[in-house]
Parts: sequence; C-alpha cells; structure tokens
Amino acid sequence: MLATQIEATGAQAAMPRKAVPGAVAEAEEQQQYLTFMLGDEMFAIGILSIREIIEYGDLTEVPMTPPFIRGVINLRGAVVPVVDLALRFGREARANSKRTCIVIVEVNAAKGRQEMGVVVDAVNEVLEVSPGDIEAPPEFGAHIRSDFIQGMGKIGGKFVVMLDVNRVLQVDEVAVAARRGSAETAVV
Amino acid sequence: MNALPNRIDILGEMTIAAAAELRRQLLAALAEASELDVDLSQVSEIDSAGMQLLVAAKREASAQGKLLRFTNHSAAVFYALELCKLTGHLGDPVLIQSQS
Amino acid sequence: MNLDDALHTFIIEARELLEHMEEALLRVEQSPEDADTINAIFRAAHTIKGSAGLFGLCHVVEFTHVAESVLDLVRAGKLRIDSELVVIFLAVCDHLGVFVTQIVEGRTPDAETNRVSVELVSKLSRYLGPPQRGAAVTAVAAPEAELETEAGDGVDTDHWHISLRFGPDLLRNGMDPLSLIRYLGTFGKIVNIVTLVDTVPSLSALDPESSYLGYEIGFSSDADKATIESAFEFVRDDARIRILPPHSKVAEYLRLIDDLPQSELRLGEILVRCGTLTQAELDLALARQAASRDDASNPIGEVLVEQKLVQPRVVEAALDKQKQVKDNKAAESGQIRVNAEKLDQHINLIGELTIASAGASLIAQRTADPELLEAAARLSRLVEEVRDSALTLRMVEIGATFNRFQRVVRDVSADLGKDIRLVISGADTDLDKTVVEKIGDPLTHLVRNSMDHGIEAAELRLARGKPAHGTLRLNAYHDSGSIVIEVADDGGGLSRERILQKALACGLIKDDQQLADADICNLIFEPGFSTCEQVSNLSGRGVGMDVVRRNIEALRGTVEIDSTENVGTTMRIRLPLTLAIIDGFLVGVNGSSFVVPLDMVVECVELTPQETADSQGRDHLDLRGEVLPFIRLKQLFDIAEAPAAADVDDDADDEFDSATARKYNGSGHSLLTAEGAAALARDPELEFLLHPVKRENVVVVQYAGRRSGLVVDKLMGEFQTVIRPLGEVFNGIDGISGFTILGSGKVALILDVQGLVRRVAGGESRRNARASNYAIAE
Repeated sequence: MLATQIEATGAQAAMPRKAVPGAVAEAEEQQQYLTFMLGDEMFAIGILSIREIIEYGDLTEVPMTPPFIRGVINLRGAVVPVVDLALRFGREARANSKRTCIVIVEVNAAKGRQEMGVVVDAVNEVLEVSPGDIEAPPEFGAHIRSDFIQGMGKIGGKFVVMLDVNRVLQVDEVAVAARRGSAETAVV
Repeated sequence: MNALPNRIDILGEMTIAAAAELRRQLLAALAEASELDVDLSQVSEIDSAGMQLLVAAKREASAQGKLLRFTNHSAAVFYALELCKLTGHLGDPVLIQSQS
Repeated sequence: MNLDDALHTFIIEARELLEHMEEALLRVEQSPEDADTINAIFRAAHTIKGSAGLFGLCHVVEFTHVAESVLDLVRAGKLRIDSELVVIFLAVCDHLGVFVTQIVEGRTPDAETNRVSVELVSKLSRYLGPPQRGAAVTAVAAPEAELETEAGDGVDTDHWHISLRFGPDLLRNGMDPLSLIRYLGTFGKIVNIVTLVDTVPSLSALDPESSYLGYEIGFSSDADKATIESAFEFVRDDARIRILPPHSKVAEYLRLIDDLPQSELRLGEILVRCGTLTQAELDLALARQAASRDDASNPIGEVLVEQKLVQPRVVEAALDKQKQVKDNKAAESGQIRVNAEKLDQHINLIGELTIASAGASLIAQRTADPELLEAAARLSRLVEEVRDSALTLRMVEIGATFNRFQRVVRDVSADLGKDIRLVISGADTDLDKTVVEKIGDPLTHLVRNSMDHGIEAAELRLARGKPAHGTLRLNAYHDSGSIVIEVADDGGGLSRERILQKALACGLIKDDQQLADADICNLIFEPGFSTCEQVSNLSGRGVGMDVVRRNIEALRGTVEIDSTENVGTTMRIRLPLTLAIIDGFLVGVNGSSFVVPLDMVVECVELTPQETADSQGRDHLDLRGEVLPFIRLKQLFDIAEAPAAADVDDDADDEFDSATARKYNGSGHSLLTAEGAAALARDPELEFLLHPVKRENVVVVQYAGRRSGLVVDKLMGEFQTVIRPLGEVFNGIDGISGFTILGSGKVALILDVQGLVRRVAGGESRRNARASNYAIAE
C-alpha cells in the first residue's frame, strides 16, 4: 500500500542540508515530498503534513457548502472534511477514477491541528527534493493563488508546484466559504 | 404418598366470593400430598382476598413441612402480583407473558 | 489521603456549605420562624468551624465561632432573625468565602481581611451578651448538635408516601385495596410498593373474608393531598391511612414508624425499599432517636421515642455513619464525588461502544443468522441502557444554578432601589452538567437586564395598576428533547416603537421594512444594536444581548423573546439536554442518510402523488385537516445535483448514474437507461412512467410548538446517534447540527430542524441580519 511505501522511502532520508536563497524557511526542513496529479498537472506536498493516503470512497456530501468541499469521511471514528483540490484551484471538476485518492493532511487550526482530506486524481511517489532544487514561487503564471505555493521544485527536469497546505486548506478560509455557501442557499 | 407432585387447577375467579371455598379445597389438596402444584392458568380474576389466599397457602404448606408451588400464572394473577410486588415474596417462577 | 487531598476536600465542602448558607439566609428572610432553615445556617457555620479547626486555621475558627454563637441564640429562639441580621450574615458568608479563596491561594489573611473580620465580629458581638457567649461554646462542642438538626431536614425523595392498613371487615364490605391501588395509578406513578404480608396467617387459621394485607406505597404524582385522599374516601372508616407529602420531615416518617404496631419493626426498612427514605436518612433518623434517648436534657421536637423500636445494631451503624456525614444534607452521604474528566472519558467510551454495537448489529443483519441477530439485539438493548444511565450521571438539577440568583436579585434590587421578588419554579429540571456550567453567565445577564430595564420603578408600577414590588420568575422545564429556561419579568415590556427607531438609526433595518412583532424584539440580539450609541433613551436594554445569544448558540441553543408592552417580558432559552448522544431517527434521501432527533419526530405519513397534486405545487399537505408545511430535503440540499461523488457509494439506491439522477430528479429506482428515459420524457403520455415507484414519506417534526414536515424517500428507523461536532470547518452552517457515524461506517448528517425551518421560512438567517423578506416569512 501507499502508506508503507511512504515509510520505506522515509527511512532512507538522509540528504545534506543547504540553505537556498528564495526558498521558504520551512522548506529547508522538508526534503521529502509526495507528488500527485490533478488532471495533467503535477503537484507536491511536504511529507511532514501528510498523515496517510486512503482510497476514495464512502464520502458523505454536506449540502449547502461550496463545491470544492466534497464532503466528509469517517477516518477511524473522526469526521474529516474533504476538499477537492482541483475545484479549490478553480480547475474543472473531473470524474473519479480507480486512481482517485484522498490524501489526509494535518493543518493548523484555531483549536490545534485539524485533519483534512484532499481529493487528488492520482498519487505518484514520494521524492526527495534537495533544497537547492527548489525555486521561489513565480509572481504569476502558475494559475494558482501565489500564496498557496510554497516553492517550485525541480523534479525530473520539470517544475512542480509545491503546495503550502496550511494556506491551501486554511481552516478559517474554508470555514467561511462553507458558511457563505450555506447563506447563499438560504436565499433561494 | 405420591412420588409425583399432586396438582390442582384453580378455575375462574379468585375473589372474595370464592375465597372460602378455595380455602377449603386448598387445605384438602394439601392434606393429600407432600408436594402440591397449584395451576393458576385458568384464574380469570383475582382480588385482595385471592392474593392473601396465595400467601396463606404458602405459609400453611411451610408450616406442614410440605412444598406448594403456584404454576402457570394467568395474566390476571401476574398483573396483580406485579402491582403489589408480591412475585418475589411467593418465590415461584413466573413466566413473563409477552405483551400481546 | 494526604493532607493536601484533605485540604482540597475541605475547600470544596466549605464552598458548598457557604452556598447552602447563603441560600438559607435568603430564604430565612421570608420565613424567619422556619427551624430547618435556621438549622441549615447554623450547621454550615458549625461544620466549617469544625473542619477549619482540624487544619489549624485559627483565624477561620475564631471568626466563625462568633458567628455561630449568634446563630445558636437564634436557634434557641432567644434572638429573632431579621433583615438586619441577614445582611450581617450574608457579609459573614462572603467573608468566609474570602478566607477560603486565600487558603486556596496559600495566602494568610491580609490587613484588609483582618479589618473586615474585626468589623464583622464587633457587629456580631452586639448580639451576644457575655453570659451567652460561654453557653454557645459548649453547644458547639457537643456532637449531638449536628445529629439533632439532621432530623429537622426534609428528606430528599420527591414523592408521596402512602401507608395503608385496613380493618378486618374491609373485604366483606365490598372494598378491594387492589382496585384502590390501580386507581392511584390513574393519576400518578406507583414508584414502589411493599405489600405487608406479616399479618396473613397460615391457611388453616385464615378467615378468607377478613382483610390482612397492608401496603406501603411510594407514589409520585402532581396531584394534591386532597385528590390522593379522595382515592380512599370509601375505605376511610375501615382503614388507617397516612399520606405524607414529598420532602416531609424525617420526624414525620419517624412518627409513622412509631405509630405502627410493634410487629412492624421492619417499617423503617420498608420505607427505604419504597424509595421514600434513603438508607442514610433512615440511619440518621434512628440515630437521632437514639441520641435523644441518651440525652434527656436535649429533647428533640415532639417525636415520641419508643426504645424498643430502635435496634441496637442499627443505631451503632447509624452512629458510625453519622461521624462520616459532614455535609448537611443527609441524602448526600450516599453519594460519591467523581472527577468530571473521568466521567467525560467514560461517556466518550460509551459513545464508541454505541457505534461499535450498531456496527455489530449491521453485520449480524447481513448474516441473517437468527442467533447472532438475537445476540446483537440483546447487546444493543443493553448498550442503550448503559448509555442512558451514563448520561444521567452527568445530569444535574438546575435548582442550584437558580438559587444563586436569590443573592443576585437581592443585591441588584437593593442597588437599584427596587423591590423585586424572585420566584423559582422547575428547579428540579435536570440537564447536562456541561450545559449548566455554561449557562450561568447568559442567565445572569438576562436576569440583570430584566431587573435593570424591565421592571419599572415602584411609582410607575403603581400608576400602571401593578403591585409596587416587581416579580422576576425563573422557570425551567423539558420540551421535546430540550430544556427550556425562562427569565420572566412583570415589567414594562419592550417598546416596539423604540426598538424600531433605534434599529433604524443604527442602520440595522431599512425604512420600508415590514417586521413581525417577534422579529422586532429579536433585533435587540443583533450585534449592531447593542453597540449603537445614537439613541440613548432605550438605556442599556440590549447591551451585551448579542453576546448572550452567541453564548447560547454555542451550546446549540436558541433564545427568543415574548414581550407585551406594560405587561412584561419573557426570555426563553432553549438548550439541548445533552451534548453527547441523542436518540435519532434515520431517514434516506437518494442514498444519503440523515438523522432527525427522535424527540422532535411526531409521526411519519406517506406523501401520495394525490396529495402532492392536491397541494397545487405548494409545499404543504393536509394533515387531518391541518395545513402542514413541508420541506423537500432533496430540493433544499440539492442532493441529485451533487457532483459525481455519489457514484462511488455502493448503496443500492445509486444504481443509475448521476447524470440520469440529475436529469430526472432522482426519482427512486429505475431500470431505464438514460436514452430510454429521454425517449419517455419526450412522450407526454408516457412521461409518468419515469416515476414508477416513487414513494415519498413525510416526517412530521415539532419544534417549539410548531409542526412541519420533512419529505424524504426512506424511513430507516431509530438510531442511537453519537454526536460528532461539526468542527471548525462546518460550524455555523444552518440546518445541520452535527455529524454521526452509521453502523456501516459512513458519516451521516444530523439535521437541525429549527435551522432548516428558519432557512426555508426565509426568515432571518444569522448572517443576513438585514433580511429583506420578512413579509414573506410570516
């Protein structure tokens, strides 16, 4: 399974550290990233925020919320909100496939840490990215709010958007959106 | 003495109207047996007089060193015993009727 | 127990005792002759002094000693307690509280504290002549003092006790005690009954037509004594009947014990079995008897003491027990303190257990193995019982919270120079401890508000034809799974006109806006309203009310106002009874499951196509002649139009793809292909075939006296619902109050019926403070 795969790769983690101008401070600590696909685009999330990866399924929709909130799942007794990253980034909604996964990440919230799921089209692999291969986010051109981007990682000769999950899934912002969705429906 | 317990059935009302007759019959039945089963399945109605008959019969049997059991409590008996919480006092197993 | 633990216990107890003392002081003003109340005050002081002595807290002992001495005079009838004395003792109470706080903080009294001590002692000493002072000390030293007062207390149980003994001719006269008991059952609940068979002889000695049986009955009823007595009207001549009202004094029960023939020594135990007395109360009563027997110089009440009645063994046990009883309430000796955290942990575990048991049942159903099914059913029944009893552990009566307001009302009315009386009812209504803890502040705010701005000055009241003294009522009761707490005043009521003016000035509403009466009142809860300074003549009414509402909503509760100008205002707070687990009713809409709190479900009816047609496209139906508005969950939640997520569900209902579902509004099961359906849709004659087995149900729900319907596809029955909070992401969404996890492991939404109704009624949404469609709403 994917979860064990992550651990296996994690065990080999031993990369020299190197300060990189332009890279966010936090990035220096993280050298392992999970890469995944949204459509044809590849993204990466630092492995330290990731709790586990589960198959897509048994999701309960929550009405009156914006479309990017897919719903909630039962994660070993805890109810965890699930966000569709593609919709969060303003991309087209896509049908689920066999490879669709929910990546469970942990983000900062007002009351401690909050687990959230993100729906991704496919999970690729866990890679080690040397801080030297991470560039500062471009001012524009990524077609994603620039504050969502932690840096641009060079993987296999291509640039991959490395997401700042705490920003992408900022609890306040998602919650406000959820409530706004609720209020909008109220006026029907 | 019989090896098997004797058995009598009480039919109809166990009320003050029948109390004297029932007392006579119970005493007679008890005299003939060391073990007596009193079947209550045909009891259609019971009042305080009937209830104290049950108690007195138990007491009589134990005074005589005999065994007296009430069996197959009818619904009327069961509800009256439940109302007065006497089921435990009499000590006989009562079949709890399923509510119909 | 080490010293720290012991000190901790002392602190907790001292605070409780001070609370009781304060309560009693406030009560004693109304009934200065009430020995129980005076005893309660004395006992509190006495116990605090005794315990403080154990810890070498000399300043507490010295101070309390003086107070106690004065109280001793009161108790002995040598000094009458008046409002002046009450004021002093309230100050004593507060001062003791300061002592306790200092002990907690590990401080010794500072100069200010000592100054207050001296001042209070000098005030108190005025009541003490030198000789009495000495006498008081001895009274304190005597351990009987506590014993003696215990018996003056009312017992804890809140039901009637009926003792029945009949003359031998009762049956012959055509009377049957059994039917009397059945009759009692028609206007109350027989809590317990002990049938006395001791006097029944053996069969040979039995006179079958004489009456032998006696009864001791614990009876819970709202009926008054006369009604209960009337049940025995026809047997009165043939019987000895004693009816003791709830919370009778222990002495009354003792008298009952004493009055009965010697052969009934067990009566005390019978009273315990009836639930009329607790074992502790009985022990104390008997011990008290024993004590009064030992000490002839100290006669207690007018209770007769029959020595033979007291079994030495019982007395011994009771005396042992009495030593442990530090608390003033006899009943409390049967209680233990539990760490609240442990209790919460326990309740959480039971929540998990409930879910696990639901999961097991589901698996059992799949196997269809009858034995397994039966075992699972038995298990879930037990789990349900365990759950219920666990939840009651956390339930406390609201009375203690209410009683704190005696002091608030007293102090505030003195400050305001108004004569305001507090009337408390429903004090025995219980609710979750966590709710109780959080309701104090909002309640205080509402109470102060009513006193400040609700109740008018005496002159104005008289001018309006009202009594000069204002009345503030605190009331609590249970209603459809909620607890309702009311703060009512008989003051001036809210002025609609002035609220409107102010709201307009604050920009909360627009000029042309039509508002219903209730909505106008509710404006005072709007955040903008209270902070708006433009109109000052409405004084503070409304200040902080938005905070009150926020606090209450945080507890999943609501607050509403009922106000009539010049007559008064009632603030009604409605809160869930418990925050953890509810009985739910599971319904299905297009494969999604929702839980409706079972307490709100009145009934379920089928929504036939005919009825749908009869409603002419409007969302209401004819429920036995009444108009029942309903909400189509499918439409409101837009369930069919959800993104393709539903596909992955293996639920049987999702057998056709979401495209079809979207197109045809998910009309239940259909074996048609999308193309086939499209073909049918083109043919108006055949179009109805698209809805072949469409069966809809209406769940009739009731909230705050209003009924409405929820239209769903499937009724899936009752479901023990462990509430998972909405969490930060979903908090504040109207219409949903939480999540729960089904036996299948799937998450279901718990519907907030009131929120749904509010949303659909188009009334004010929390965020739409300036709701523009009020006119449509009503």
